[in-house]
Amino acid sequence: MALAENTFYEQPLLEISGLKTVFPTDDGIVNAVNDVSFSIARGQTVGVVGESGCGKSITGLSMLQLVPPPGRIENGEILFYRNGADEPLDIAQVSPKSELMRQIRGNEIAIIFQEPMTSLNPVYTVGNQIAEAIVLHEQVDKKTAHERAIEMIARVGIPAPAQRVDEYPHQLSGGMRQRIMIAMALCCSPTLLIADEPTTALDVTIQAQVLGLMQELQAEMGMAIMLITHDLGVIADLADEVVVMYSGRVVEKGTVDDIFYNPLHPYTQGLLKSIPVLGRTPEKTLPSIPGTVPHPLTLPVGCSFGPRCPERMPQCDQMPELAGVNGKSEGGAHTVRCWLHTDLEG
Amino acid sequence: MTKLLEVNDLRKYFPIQKGIFQRTVGYVKAVDGISFDVQRGETLGLVGESGCGKTTAGRCLLRLIPPTSGSFIFGEEQVDLAKLTHQEMRPFRRRIQMIFQDPHASLNPRMTVGDIVGEPMRVNRTEEGSALQDRIVELLESVGLRSQDTRRYPHAFSGGQRQRIGIARALALQPELIVADEPVSALDVSVQAQILNLLAELREKFQLSYIFIAHDLSVVEHISDRVAVMYLGKIVEISDAVTLYQSPKHPYTEALISAVPLPDPSAQRKREHIRLEGDVPDPSQPPNGCYFHPRCRYATDICKQETPELRQVAQGVQVACHHSETLELQGV
Repeated sequence: MALAENTFYEQPLLEISGLKTVFPTDDGIVNAVNDVSFSIARGQTVGVVGESGCGKSITGLSMLQLVPPPGRIENGEILFYRNGADEPLDIAQVSPKSELMRQIRGNEIAIIFQEPMTSLNPVYTVGNQIAEAIVLHEQVDKKTAHERAIEMIARVGIPAPAQRVDEYPHQLSGGMRQRIMIAMALCCSPTLLIADEPTTALDVTIQAQVLGLMQELQAEMGMAIMLITHDLGVIADLADEVVVMYSGRVVEKGTVDDIFYNPLHPYTQGLLKSIPVLGRTPEKTLPSIPGTVPHPLTLPVGCSFGPRCPERMPQCDQMPELAGVNGKSEGGAHTVRCWLHTDLEG
Repeated sequence: MTKLLEVNDLRKYFPIQKGIFQRTVGYVKAVDGISFDVQRGETLGLVGESGCGKTTAGRCLLRLIPPTSGSFIFGEEQVDLAKLTHQEMRPFRRRIQMIFQDPHASLNPRMTVGDIVGEPMRVNRTEEGSALQDRIVELLESVGLRSQDTRRYPHAFSGGQRQRIGIARALALQPELIVADEPVSALDVSVQAQILNLLAELREKFQLSYIFIAHDLSVVEHISDRVAVMYLGKIVEISDAVTLYQSPKHPYTEALISAVPLPDPSAQRKREHIRLEGDVPDPSQPPNGCYFHPRCRYATDICKQETPELRQVAQGVQVACHHSETLELQGV
């Protein structure tokens, strides 16, 4: 039994390779997601961290074929290992409006968004909205779906679920709305949950409740979580693996301990140093990264972080590859996109 | 150190009006009797979750909204700002300035940066002509912008740069006190550090005092000398920053600190996590006794009946809790 459990966590669930999502604009093409590769194993939590405009949200939306027009996936593979299927399915090749994509969306891969007020429909009761997803994906009647909705509301820790099910979103607090979003996302037992800044709009004590709930439900249901956030504290709390993004590209990825205790990319190092940490004796000045994130239409030549990088070298005019640390192949767990850790040859 | 501002029993009640006659049926006690002081050159942090009244308190201090009651004794003159008329208030306005949260909403998109930064000086007639232009350039340079930026419009700047423009505007009249309401919460992590450093540097340079309002405890800890924690319109604890975070004396402070996820995975795994139950109560119908008791894991009978007063428990440490002497609370 123990063996079976171990292999469960080693099975791949999703493998993204070379993903490129572009937005054609009047002024040029914006490469919102550029050559992004990483994988998510079953039951694992992968944190995707970066500042606004780094492409972390668009990566999440690409995985569901929900990229808003005129954006589109131009290149790359999103291999999704569905339950019971031998061959993985390449989501990048599935049409956004196809029946197949609809079966996956919400049923096998679910998503929760940052702002719980705007992602719930104000004119339907929360019970109605949860039941809608159940009726869409499963062969059940409305009555059963309604009962399942009550069950889910109870499961996300909302008191008096039988009454709450008939309430409208405006009658609930922000934390409860986010719980409803979670209930809705999990009602069909997805194998992957994409959580895009799930607690950014919430207060810290409510954030702690919601993060705790996500961890409990993950342990119970065994789903994988892709956690998109800019908050390194949330990443340290939940993630097993971390992907750091900058200007549309992955600049470093590794286990949570690799990233926090042995960060290799100057951007990751700068990011970790520049956040004030609770309880650490405050220094007079906080080390900060100079400058700002480059505009996506006027990216610098070579490494996008080059102009802000304290370690800039002549090679930085060429884009380095994402490569294993110290010349090891990319198969290694800890990879980084930086000339400091790559040979020009390799 | 000399006292710059002393706030006594500040209250701000917003009436709840109903029906066609707009009859007042109750009050939201946004700020419910808070007292604190700010020393010259000091930064006082004001933290709390949304709806705790921290922003309302800040706005009352500038008389942007009229307080319901209370007094603010300001400066060497010991003038009570709360009692001044609009006219009498004018000379004091230039001495207290504000920095706002959203750098996209707080700058007029139709004005150039030079006009935005120069406006306070034009309105108050402190500088004119070429002296005004020189002063604008000097201000922009002191916040890390360039002289050629005066003719550009706010949309041409990034969030962090816009916040710098807002800071330059706040400095224009050489204020003594700046109320900064969530000045870094809309910014990206790497830019947030730049602005925090700038604020600290300007404090030294111009001998400013800050009231720094924020919800992010780690940011507040970094910049503040002393910190006041608010819950439901009241201050529950006020003490110097190091003491507050190392050994909190109020259960709410303890829970707040515990709820902040540390960007340190192994420390985070080892920590005890206190999860508060439920939400912040409705401020129009606060619970009896201590406002925090329904969510407090140490609450006893007395907490349900008697409202604890803010009292001094150690040098410089004030707490509003019946049990603060007997509780052993966890810090960071």
